[in-house]
This record gives sequence, structure tokens and C-alpha cells, in this order.
Amino acid sequence: MMFEAPIQRLIDELARLPGIGRKSAQRLAFHILHVEEEDARRLAESILSMRSEVRLCDRCFNVTDSEECSICRDLRRDPSTMCVVERPQDIVVVEKTQEFRGRYHVLGGSISPIEGIGPDQLRMRELVARIEDEQVSEVIVATNPTVEGDTTALYLARLLKPLGVRVTRLASGLPVGGDLDYADELTLGRALVGRREM
Amino acid sequence: MALRHDQGIVLRSYPFGEADRVVVLLSPNQGKVRAVAKGVRKTKSRFGGRLEPFSHVDLVLYEGRNLDTITQVEVIEAFPHLRQDLDRVLAAGAMVEVLDVVAQEEEASHRAFLLLQRSLRTLEEGPPHRDLVTAFLLKAADVVGVGPALAECAGCGATGGLHRFSFAAGGVLCDRCRTPGAVALRDGLTGYLAALAAAPIDALPEEDPSLSDDALGVSRRFLEYHLDRRLGAAVRA
Ligand SMILES: [Zn+2]
Ligand SMILES: [Zn+2]
Repeated sequence: MMFEAPIQRLIDELARLPGIGRKSAQRLAFHILHVEEEDARRLAESILSMRSEVRLCDRCFNVTDSEECSICRDLRRDPSTMCVVERPQDIVVVEKTQEFRGRYHVLGGSISPIEGIGPDQLRMRELVARIEDEQVSEVIVATNPTVEGDTTALYLARLLKPLGVRVTRLASGLPVGGDLDYADELTLGRALVGRREM
Repeated sequence: MALRHDQGIVLRSYPFGEADRVVVLLSPNQGKVRAVAKGVRKTKSRFGGRLEPFSHVDLVLYEGRNLDTITQVEVIEAFPHLRQDLDRVLAAGAMVEVLDVVAQEEEASHRAFLLLQRSLRTLEEGPPHRDLVTAFLLKAADVVGVGPALAECAGCGATGGLHRFSFAAGGVLCDRCRTPGAVALRDGLTGYLAALAAAPIDALPEEDPSLSDDALGVSRRFLEYHLDRRLGAAVRA
């Protein structure tokens, strides 16, 4: 069913968001119709201001509202270790672990021969320049444990090792809290190869 | 509520919705199959790494209106080692890309499937022959019915003086049949291509590094010409 044009326009826009179906879009649109005018305006303005104020960090390509992101500006962070991730969202996930005190570099994706994405489309050149400029001694590759993420990690190892840096990869293993008999062969095989002394 | 069984090698997958992926497989019986794997992008997915590219899997599918949904997966063969070497994973990537282009849905593809399975096994065993991808392209062309003439002239069937290659004519040409568009092949290349095309993928002829680049270039452009589509970076490297 079609609604009056202004309502239908909003429903159509909302329905294009990830995870929002037609039904939810309708519910949200009617919710927005009934809230205070001021609340609706704040929502609209926050969308616009996010788009205009957020940019990529000049150094690591994380999202930020200034030239450099808060992590790059933080002098307590250890510049000698660098964690390489595919997307800015991945930084948030690693930060939540509170296990990493170095800096980041966002590649902007992963190598996918099948999708036609090669190293040239990623921020590899910027990474090499940073390793030399910032005297990085260890690069931790935190790309996804997929064929694309693995391929990217292998490429990085080949690219960076000649520069004299240590290149490590996040270990693959069993999900904490899971049952061993649910693990697939690939995951379990890697967990075995990456086992550690106790 | 119809359940069906199938098996195939995973060619690729792409994100679908919030946490799902559409997995594209090459099935010997059904050709190219697309199916939804629900929740596979979550780290705790029960599918784990089973639906990663190159896995040969046995599936139980729930038939849907548009896309089938994968309800169970069992790994038949996983090829874990080829993923740990850049050259091998790129070669495997090139192979699945080609089959993703040539395979059709709902069309049996036993030969294409066997070609891929043998090629992945060869890659899994150790460092590959440097012209494995070239041989694969020539064999894939043959599987889809456009295998180039390499042992004899595509024009007259002559077996000597085959120094040119014509994409349009479908193979090598002798000096009498040569057309203006046919490219010149360097000495030995005709024989090398013919040997690569004829040998089993796991027993290719001795490598000739001086002919590698040209062999790949001719084979790639030939396949691109007949598929009317450019192949990606992995086939180029
Ligand atoms: Zn930064
Ligand atoms: Zn002829």
C-alpha cells in the first residue's frame, strides 16, 4: 500500500537502510510523524552534521572529526606496534578488548581477486610510508579470517618483511564459550597449528 | 517445505542482509548454485569456515521461492594449505573466477567440476607449476566448447609453420592462412601451449619460464574474447 507522498518518501529512504524491512520502515516513519517537531529536527540535523563533520584521519584513515583521530593524537599509545584492519569499525572492536596499546592503520578493504580488488586499491603505499616514518617494529594483521583477509595478510607479510618489521597475524581459534564438537575442520585445524605451551 | 541434497565447491560468497551471505557453488549436477547461509558472518556461526571459497562441501538445502537456504554443511575436502601461500591462493582465486563466469545455473557441469577439483588438489599439494593457471584457462576453454586449435592450423589443418594465433579463428594459423589480426607467437610458444593444453593438470610439461608470460597472455585474451568479458587481476598476475 502507498501512503501520502511525503510519508512514502521517508518510508522508502528508511527501507534502504541495512536491516530495515518495509514493516520497520513504516513503523519508524509513523513514529517520527508523531514525535515533537524539535525531536524530528534534531534527528535530521544529526544525520547531516555527521556526514559533514566526520572525515578520515590523515594518518591512519580511522573516522574522526579533526585532521588526526583521537588514537593517533594520544601520546600514551605505543607507536612501535601497529594493528592493520580492513575497516574503521574494526578499530572499535579491537579497542574493546583493551589488550592493544599501539596505533592502527585502516586499509579500506581486503584483496579480493574475485571481486577485482587488488593491493593498489587499498592503502598499502601509505602503510609502507608510515612504517618508515614512525619507526614501527611490529605490524599485527587483524584482517578477517576469510580467504580475502588471509590473502591480504599474506601479501602484507611479503611486502613488509623486507623492511625489517615483525609481521604477526591474529590467531584463529575456537570461539570462547562454544562446544568443541561444533567447530568446523578449518577452524579446529588452525587452532591446532596455533596451539600454545601451558 | 522441501529439503534437497547437493554438493559443490564454493566459488565465492557475498554479504547479504545483516549477518548472512549468499554462497555461490559449483555443483557437478546443478552447475552454478546460489544459496543463503544465515548468520555465517557472525564469529560464532555454526557454519564456521566450512563455506569459505575452495571448500568442497555436502549441503542440505531448504528450497525457497528465490534462493535456497543452507541448513547443513559437511566438508568433503577443505584445501587448508593452499590458503597459506600467496601465489597459490591467487591461482585458486583465478580459477574460481573463471568458472564463476563460465558455469550456468541448472546445467550439469561434471567436467568443469572435475577440472576445478583436480586443480585445487594440485595446488594443495605444494608449490604449483608456474603455468598452472595458463593450463587451467586452456582446459576451461575446452570444457565450455571453445578449446583453441593448437596442434594444427585452425584454417586448413596443417601441422607445420604455426606461427600466428587468431582469437577470432579459434587458434593457431599457418603462414598461408594467417589473417591481418592474428598475433605473432614467439618460437616454441605454439608447442608449449599445445603441451599445456594436452597434459593432465597434475602432470604438466617441464616449465619454460621464458614462455610463461606470453602463454598466459594469449590464453587469457583468447578466453576473454570468447567469453566477451575481461578476467580480473588474479588471471593477469
Ligand atoms: Zn588516526
Ligand atoms: Zn592453414
